[in-house]
Amino acid sequence: MKRAMNRWRDAAARFAPPVLSFIAGVVAWELVGRHTNAAFLVPLSETLDRLWELSQSGELWEQLASSLAIFVVGFVLALIVGAPGGMLLARVAVLRRALDVYITIAYATPLVALIPFILSLMGFGFAPKVLVVFLFAVFPVLYNTVEGARSLKPELVEVAHSFRSSEWALWREVMVPYTLPFTMTGVRQAIGRALVGMIAAEFFLSSTGLGQLIMSASQNFDTAGVLAAILVIMVLGLVLMRIGRAIELHFARWRV
Amino acid sequence: MSVAELDQDRTSTLLPRLYAGIAILVFWEIVVRAFAPPYVATPLGIALAVPHVITDRTFLVGGAITLAAVAEGLIIALVFGTVLGLVIGQSKVADRALRQYINAGYTLPMVVVLPLVSLWFGYTGAARLATVVFAALFSITVNVADGARSVPQEYLEVARSFRSRSWRALFEIVLPAATPYFLAGLRLAAGRALIGAVVAEFFTAIPGLGYFILFNSRTFHHNEAFVAVLLLAAFGVGFDMLVSWVTHRYLPWYRRDEIPG
Repeated sequence: MKRAMNRWRDAAARFAPPVLSFIAGVVAWELVGRHTNAAFLVPLSETLDRLWELSQSGELWEQLASSLAIFVVGFVLALIVGAPGGMLLARVAVLRRALDVYITIAYATPLVALIPFILSLMGFGFAPKVLVVFLFAVFPVLYNTVEGARSLKPELVEVAHSFRSSEWALWREVMVPYTLPFTMTGVRQAIGRALVGMIAAEFFLSSTGLGQLIMSASQNFDTAGVLAAILVIMVLGLVLMRIGRAIELHFARWRV
Repeated sequence: MSVAELDQDRTSTLLPRLYAGIAILVFWEIVVRAFAPPYVATPLGIALAVPHVITDRTFLVGGAITLAAVAEGLIIALVFGTVLGLVIGQSKVADRALRQYINAGYTLPMVVVLPLVSLWFGYTGAARLATVVFAALFSITVNVADGARSVPQEYLEVARSFRSRSWRALFEIVLPAATPYFLAGLRLAAGRALIGAVVAEFFTAIPGLGYFILFNSRTFHHNEAFVAVLLLAAFGVGFDMLVSWVTHRYLPWYRRDEIPG
């Protein structure tokens, strides 16, 4: 009896704070929204109504698909370049020593600042947006892969060599399995950055996708539309992060 | 490692780096000259643009405005982020109650808030400041909370057994323990703050370094615009180096790879 009480109390201590604060947030949004100018904030109920409308008309799904196409293509390209590129850099010491400082610089540069250049060079199509997502995503993948492959114990490579392992076998049996968990940390970081790149491209190149949903709503002073789109992007971000963390954890199990 | 070996190691890094740098610049120059329209930035063009850009008033004033906004926003984010992080790191209830909001704010791409912020603050410097604070706040909060959580409970118990006041425990145990995490968070936050300021200027077209880039690239002065990008990169790299230096100099017992972020 007492144990059941304790368990119940533990559960309450664990779940009450997030649930209560969530409810408080919802109520606060609703109340503040009702008592402010509609140009600044609208109540949650109105935002959700708008979200329902957008979903019913199909506009939401169409724009979401358009955004995700940019995201996925840019991200996959970043992975295709970043992961093998990083391992190559780690394996060929001269290459790494030659290039690491430039990669660090590129990693630290605010890449959004390059968007106006991309705009005037490549215009408004699909390709420049993919390029932005690619640029945002590739450096975390590259950087983490190099760091991971660099921490590969030299003894492992030496043993492989003493057993006359071919370069191909060395990559397949040692380099790739050892480095993959680190690459996946980069993948997790890259997901967040690619999302920023996606929205930035949709804002500053030409309005398409979820970015357009926000832009056109804000130009029409449709605050409910802006907030509805932000909610969608927030949920998308949380889902993608969850996926990224799951991938990272999955590969972390073989980390040595 | 002997001094001679160290020297040899240094030259064996320096030379490939130098060659690679030259190769990148030459490749860039040739490709742009061969295939791109004449207004596109090339290394030579950028180098030639440097003297008149760094004496240009709009550039200097814009740079000062943007960096001042980044510094101001970072300080605001530091104060609120540290307080919030300490509260979350110290109290389980606060952590459970607030984590969903912190996570949501952290994962929301900061570009998304621009329409909202410009709606609330108008197309003004206040909108930029709000974007910078939003961009920087959560990485500091998350890292400080991690740091505060990393304090060994025994230390706090010892402090309590010696009847130390709780503010002393905060200042002498929790804060020092959280410092390396705080610095890692600051490094992340500074990069994000810089991006926040630039995108806010893109969006609201208020004067600053970001707007300088936007305006010059739209009027086909790519070389001039790129000088501003270099300044932004230098600021990002410089701040990174400063924080690593502070960590190595004042907290030498923390290896960089032990710090998250």
